[in-house]
Amino acid sequence: MKDYTVVGQRVPKLDAAQKAMGRAEYIQDVRLPGMLYGKILYSSHAHAKITAMDISRALALPGVHAVLTGKDIPSKMRMGFYKDNPPLKAAKVCCFRDEIAAVAAVSEEVAKKAVRLIEVEYEPLPAVFDPEAAMEKDAPLVHEAHKSNVLKLPWKLHYGDVDAAEKASAFVVEDRFTTTWVTHCCLSTSGAVALFDASDNLTVYSNTQIPSLAQKDFQETLGAMGLKGKRVRVIKPVIGGGFGSKLDTYAYEHIAILLAHKCRKPVKILFDRKEEFEATSTRQPTVIYIRQGCDEEGHLTFRDIRMVLDNGGRTSWGATTPSVMMMPITSLYRVPNVRYDAKCVYTNNTYAQAMRGYGNPQATFAIESCMDMLAQKAGIDPVTFRRINRNEPGDETPQGFKITSCGLGQCIDAVEKELTADSPLADGEGIGYASLIHVGGGARIYKSDGCGAILKMDDFGKVDIFTGGTDMGQGLDNMIAQIVAEELGLLAEDINVVHSDTDVCPWDVGAHASRSTFVAGNAALGAAKKARQTLLAFAATLFETAPEDLVMKNRMVWVKNDPEKSMPVDKLLRKAHFSPGGTMLMADYFYDPPNENMGKDFRCNLSVTYSFGVHGVRVHVDRETGKVQVKNYVAAHDVGRAINPMLLEGQVYGGVIMGLGYALSEEVMIKDGQIKNPNFRDYKLFTAKDAVPITAPVIETDDPDGPFGAKGIGEPGCVPTAPAVANAICNAVGVRIKDLPITPEKVLAAIQAQSKGS
Amino acid sequence: MTKTISFILNGDEISCDIQDHWTLLHLLREELGLIGTKEGCGNGECGACTVIVDQLAVNSCLYLAADIQGKQVQTIEGLAVHTGSLHPIQQSFVDNGGIQCGFCTPGMIMSAKALLDKDPEADQEAVKHALAGNICRCTGYVQILDSVAAAGRQMAGKKTDKAAGYGDPGPVTRQPGDQTAGEVTP
Amino acid sequence: MKPFTYLTPTTVEEAVTLFGQHKETARYMAGGTDVIVKVKEGWMAPDYLINLKQIPGLDDLHKNGATGELTIGALVTHAMLEQSLLIRSEYPIIYDAVSNIGSLQVRNMGTIGGNLINAVPSADGAIPLIALDGAALLKGPEGERSVMVKDLFVQPYETVLTPGEILTKITIPAQAPRSGSAYIKFGRRAAMELPLIGIGVLLVVDEDLATCTRARICLGVAGPTPLRAQKAEQLLKGQPVTPDLLTEAGKLAADESQVRDSVRGQAWHRKEMIRVQVRRMGLRCLDIINQKARQV
Repeated sequence: MKDYTVVGQRVPKLDAAQKAMGRAEYIQDVRLPGMLYGKILYSSHAHAKITAMDISRALALPGVHAVLTGKDIPSKMRMGFYKDNPPLKAAKVCCFRDEIAAVAAVSEEVAKKAVRLIEVEYEPLPAVFDPEAAMEKDAPLVHEAHKSNVLKLPWKLHYGDVDAAEKASAFVVEDRFTTTWVTHCCLSTSGAVALFDASDNLTVYSNTQIPSLAQKDFQETLGAMGLKGKRVRVIKPVIGGGFGSKLDTYAYEHIAILLAHKCRKPVKILFDRKEEFEATSTRQPTVIYIRQGCDEEGHLTFRDIRMVLDNGGRTSWGATTPSVMMMPITSLYRVPNVRYDAKCVYTNNTYAQAMRGYGNPQATFAIESCMDMLAQKAGIDPVTFRRINRNEPGDETPQGFKITSCGLGQCIDAVEKELTADSPLADGEGIGYASLIHVGGGARIYKSDGCGAILKMDDFGKVDIFTGGTDMGQGLDNMIAQIVAEELGLLAEDINVVHSDTDVCPWDVGAHASRSTFVAGNAALGAAKKARQTLLAFAATLFETAPEDLVMKNRMVWVKNDPEKSMPVDKLLRKAHFSPGGTMLMADYFYDPPNENMGKDFRCNLSVTYSFGVHGVRVHVDRETGKVQVKNYVAAHDVGRAINPMLLEGQVYGGVIMGLGYALSEEVMIKDGQIKNPNFRDYKLFTAKDAVPITAPVIETDDPDGPFGAKGIGEPGCVPTAPAVANAICNAVGVRIKDLPITPEKVLAAIQAQSKGS
Repeated sequence: MTKTISFILNGDEISCDIQDHWTLLHLLREELGLIGTKEGCGNGECGACTVIVDQLAVNSCLYLAADIQGKQVQTIEGLAVHTGSLHPIQQSFVDNGGIQCGFCTPGMIMSAKALLDKDPEADQEAVKHALAGNICRCTGYVQILDSVAAAGRQMAGKKTDKAAGYGDPGPVTRQPGDQTAGEVTP
Repeated sequence: MKPFTYLTPTTVEEAVTLFGQHKETARYMAGGTDVIVKVKEGWMAPDYLINLKQIPGLDDLHKNGATGELTIGALVTHAMLEQSLLIRSEYPIIYDAVSNIGSLQVRNMGTIGGNLINAVPSADGAIPLIALDGAALLKGPEGERSVMVKDLFVQPYETVLTPGEILTKITIPAQAPRSGSAYIKFGRRAAMELPLIGIGVLLVVDEDLATCTRARICLGVAGPTPLRAQKAEQLLKGQPVTPDLLTEAGKLAADESQVRDSVRGQAWHRKEMIRVQVRRMGLRCLDIINQKARQV
């Protein structure tokens, strides 16, 4: 059955009209009766003891309802998976971002004023800002009780025999690559509103990508506050951008809860843009040492990677990105022997979180830059080199990933065709390629990788589907609606997707790992299939035929060989409802893909399927200024199936531009732990004027496990962008830039060094 | 200091009390409840708060409310009201994938409107130049530029033609054996 | 934002009087794109903001047909300059500079006078006006005076204006025949940039279309204030302008500059950009001159 009517259509995003009219309500727009406004005081030092704090002047300010400090935080209350982060810090601060006090007041102005009235005395401590320096014996300890700056995390694997393989290799290259901090820059800043009812049940409005896990975090907070057993409801207003930034709970959410409980009023904390830059997380910065080899014919023989990750002063998900970096390291191309060792090291810098790609962009930058270097050494052209080593359906990678559908080869072909169709390269122009692998069917990083769906149909042929999944602009609502409509023979507009409230929506592990279309889609499909069965069984009785003989399409049900026998779906539903012993059509489904948790040696089939892609870019490099101009960009992706090509292209275009920012312009500049550019003036996001022509060939491989064959595409668009650009620059002017972002300064310095050298 | 100002808001005459230090953004969102205008940075660096004052796109976060005395102000809420249907620019953003998270959308549409009202046939460079002050993190701008171009064609009274888009969707390649092989998704 | 009282005079004299009443608790405001940000951020905390936008005539933009003198009122917005056909065709260096200041939204509000008075080293607006030998007319409690735009700046955020003085207009003398001018803002992205370095070049040549009779090389972000690279200008004067000579001039200008490392760029690269862009802008000036000569 490939004759789809709704799947594959460019159905406009379901909430687009609402958003186009300015009617969508974001966290900024949530205003509750009696609401107070919270503001947070942050550290003035990168590393210091707090010796005294005086909140009396703040408390005395008219309009102030509460002031909290680290001393008010229950001792068990710790955020993050490493539990090293209380929402407010009492004894010492480990980075400028550390929250040390918070105020609730009648207005934002008063709250701001009160925060400024809090007096803090510090005793500065020696600080460390370089992760490699922080590993030295005499480095200052960021957390004394931890005894070492190196986190106790198990990121180490060795498959095959790298040393033997290296000896047997015909060509070997090695180098050091570095990536710096970049950040999500969601257009909507972060915020939360917390309120308690009279029985101490908690409601939190928050911009979260993980409503169910946030609910669990907030439950723990209630537990620490002595409110165990109370209910937590998480409501998501419309989310103004996610990209991984909302994958953990943040101090501001827990502080809002504490303030709301203390004041017995709703408390809203909303970040301004500076705070968004300074107090939310970044992508994980890395230092990467890579060695890679191949044989005479160009087959990869081994890959050996050592990484040092700047963990910053506290720990959020950034410290777990090596688990995802393992994926490209072990499984991008066929590479039989792999070794990987990553150390996350405390420093007094800011700390990282999930950001689109979850470590994959950093690892792929090193791997794919190094692929071109190795190809050059082996005397093979970069495209052929990639073709020789491409993954194929049926492969099992050294980490145990079982490749099912795989269009990597077709992606290479498509990109090469598009890029080389252009005019010949002019002086200063070059072309670069890079590939990607990413999880395409979720990833079991938590005990469950599942998602629930509850479906009900009304008397008018309309469907309400309650999904655990989260739409933050990427278009999950359409994926669900188009999948359900296809299965039930309805139109997308007949489907109302509800994803905003844990009180009505079932559990989901969160909008991450490009999993929503696949996992939430399969959950919705499961519920729709059940509903379809029930409805067809009822119709079969009515038409005195077998359910298999019925067709359900265009809001109608009819008998396949006797189309006269037909009935509109809404009428059928009313018949079912209003008949004696009537029934309403409802169905639920929980889908947990057969993804495996990583074993002790990290071997597993992390995802039931994998997404692939190849990016190619043509650049022009101004030899005198070092400025890089992107002339043409082609991003081909194996997506299984495009449920909605228009939204899919939107994910690719958006990912590519985000990736180009990562490659060329974006950088959170941190000096001595302090962010120097917390604004859009100096954090260089691409503007419309910087937009580049992008072609996005879609390769459909019809994945056997995906909903209608679909795989994930949320993150891949920004994964191989930076190495593709670096490779193109090298192709253009012969210099290899190994440090992101690739600024004109770096390019020009390399060009000048090259001409001095020759 | 409090003063009373009169101005035309989305076609309606309005008279209200303001404080001297209020921005237009504050007046619209906090006092008049028009939440469609968004604050993304507060410093004129993202364009989310863009509204049109006397035909010019401005950052309402930097524009003092006092300065709209006697002027015409258009916000996103004023676009679809009178016809009951979406303005062609709004409709085009909906149809062409110009909207993802939607936070930049109202400002983006207002910038586009200020441009297309003057010059519906603005070419791509002109559109990019006019929209450069509206940051979008989701779309990579491709479908936004397509949306504005399509809206411009419609506003200029021309037939909308999908072929001349900025982003090229590229061919859809299907696995051999797939019955729809060779088809290009419409 | 800290509350203030917003005063709206309708004559320059009234504005000056209001300032006299409130002294240092008052600030003038034109487009507000810099002032409002400063008040929001707490870098400036006036009790009174004196709005100059309702004073008729301050947004005058015209060229005197008889004398060839160009008048740009201080309240002329960047967008007005950008959209003026006169500016685009006859003063390309002004067009180059103002058309990429901030965003269109900012250019619709921000004024050329405000851009000058804000006195940041990165003010795009100052460079062309210096290159064109512009003069600023100041009116204040002590009366009226005229200052060359190049002499307007003391240090970052400080001009020669005395308390209460208002910049009312900039005048630019008639353009010499056979002149060309160009400006480039070098930044990391194509829009919404403060320049890493701003380079404006104006050349006037003799009837041979080669010998330089006047040269202006003006640099932004190359020192605490916008500056002229006078040694480089001297090198060009009296010589036939060739790519090689422009390369030499670029080197001299780079040496004369006082560039520094900052968040936005490194000093060595800024120097390189001066070196390269002085040549490129010089060549563009020659193109403009030659194009005009062909049209005549």
